[in-house]
Amino acid sequence: MTLDLRAVLIITAAALVYAALLPARWRGWALFLGSAAAIYLLQPPLAIRFSDFLLPTATLVLATGLWWATRAPGQTFTREDGLALLLLAGVILALSLMRFVDAPYRLTPSRPPDPLMLAAGLLVVGLVLAGGWQVARRLLPAKGLLALLIVLLVAVFIIWKADALAVAVSAAWRGATGQDMSLASMSDLNWLGFSYVAFRLIHLLRDRMSGLLPALTLREHITYVIFFPSFIAGPIDRAERFADDLRALPALAGLDAPRWIEAATRITAGLVKKFVIADGLAQGMALNSVNAAQTDSPLWLWLLLYGYALRLFFDFSGYTDIAIGLGLLFGVRLPENFNRPYLKTSITAFWQSWHITLSNWARFYVFSPLSRWLLMRQPRPSPALIVLTTQTATMLVIGLWHGVTLNFVIWGVWHGLALFVHKQWSDRTRAWYRRLNETPRRKHLWTAATWFVTFHYVVLGWVWFALPDAGQAARVLLRLFGL
Amino acid sequence: MDEASVRADLRAYITRELIRDEGYGLKDDEGIISGGLMDSFALAELGVYVEQAFGVYIPDPDLTVAKMDTLNQIVARVLRG
Repeated sequence: MTLDLRAVLIITAAALVYAALLPARWRGWALFLGSAAAIYLLQPPLAIRFSDFLLPTATLVLATGLWWATRAPGQTFTREDGLALLLLAGVILALSLMRFVDAPYRLTPSRPPDPLMLAAGLLVVGLVLAGGWQVARRLLPAKGLLALLIVLLVAVFIIWKADALAVAVSAAWRGATGQDMSLASMSDLNWLGFSYVAFRLIHLLRDRMSGLLPALTLREHITYVIFFPSFIAGPIDRAERFADDLRALPALAGLDAPRWIEAATRITAGLVKKFVIADGLAQGMALNSVNAAQTDSPLWLWLLLYGYALRLFFDFSGYTDIAIGLGLLFGVRLPENFNRPYLKTSITAFWQSWHITLSNWARFYVFSPLSRWLLMRQPRPSPALIVLTTQTATMLVIGLWHGVTLNFVIWGVWHGLALFVHKQWSDRTRAWYRRLNETPRRKHLWTAATWFVTFHYVVLGWVWFALPDAGQAARVLLRLFGL
Repeated sequence: MDEASVRADLRAYITRELIRDEGYGLKDDEGIISGGLMDSFALAELGVYVEQAFGVYIPDPDLTVAKMDTLNQIVARVLRG
């Protein structure tokens, strides 16, 4: 199940019940329990036995464990936290009862594991994690422990995203379940939402290290990490902002017209963008490895590339519109992810308006700390070297977040270098650019030229994105220029 | 740290090192980044300077255009500690 029309209608119906019938003080609990159940329902079926039930369970265990690790100093385990933990276990075990339901009526993607075995497994995992935590906190200072958890999270991320490592994990898992190991593949490990969950958890860990994270209850923490409208493809909200919305839910008017109209507009726009425009373009009008291999004409390749660029934008920004609209229905205003990115006149402005929440995440947790670390070094590296290093590293992280492959490395460096060049250029031309305001006609011409260059640099970069084979991508780039 | 000296120190640093025009008459509520006087990359430099000059560590998620665009905002953030 994905966020298609059927899912949107079901969620909208749930939102009506939530707004009209549910006592206002239960809204936060409803989002918590609804999100916990939704991540099982949204998870696609997987080939390895029970994995499509165990991976969402792992998401919940991971989020719960990291709530414990990121509690504020002096924050105690309250009765409310205890209730949240019990209800979470209740949701998992209740969904495992789908094991006894016939396939057509089952809400989970496939037959879940035995509820008793699952309960025993959860208990053992809980005890192991609690024991490991007690040992680790005696061996490491608080910040060191949080840093270690970030490293472990990144390690799991890399294993899951790197083809060879993921296949090895898949083979080992297949071996453990007695399934054919020769069929191991990366698609076995399609852990829905993990890319976004991991980055939210790193934000929580890092902000606890810097003292910026407010105290969150277990319920608030889990709801933030797995909030169902933004679970599959973002946006990556910030916990303190999200918690403010959650805390305001009891006072929210249930059926206020402006919010419902805004939500309906966003959802409708998103459905049209994603399922009409983007899916329409995907029917042979967007670059892919098949039509790239069949097309020799540079003109056709350019058209396919423009088609791909538009498809990507409409697909992702449409999805974001749906997510934001659904969030609004439940009283949560998720952050914007796009701001007319293809109309920007510099690569810097593009990255401030494309997948904004991921760019911000990378700025806060990669670019800024790395820049500060380099700026503090004695002797201080040259400003140009600092900018080159930090921009490239940041864009590499954004590239690798999409997948640990050569193409995403090249795509990251492609954008990192462009940001570096633009920074050097704008540093040297800032005074000249301010004077350009005095001659509007020249400014218009300059704006048109910089838009053209920016747009085409971004579009050419998508070749690495659209074609998984680096050799084919390089050949297509040459063919686009008749080479 | 009194506000007037923090403001004077930051104004001098920003015009000299970040805008690179010491004679520039920076206003208290002028958008330094949104007005194109410096770019958002300079915020990391500003963060390091504030830490070294005033002993105030500003976490990275606070180093944003929305939160640090004017001299008034920057001074208030430094005084908050």
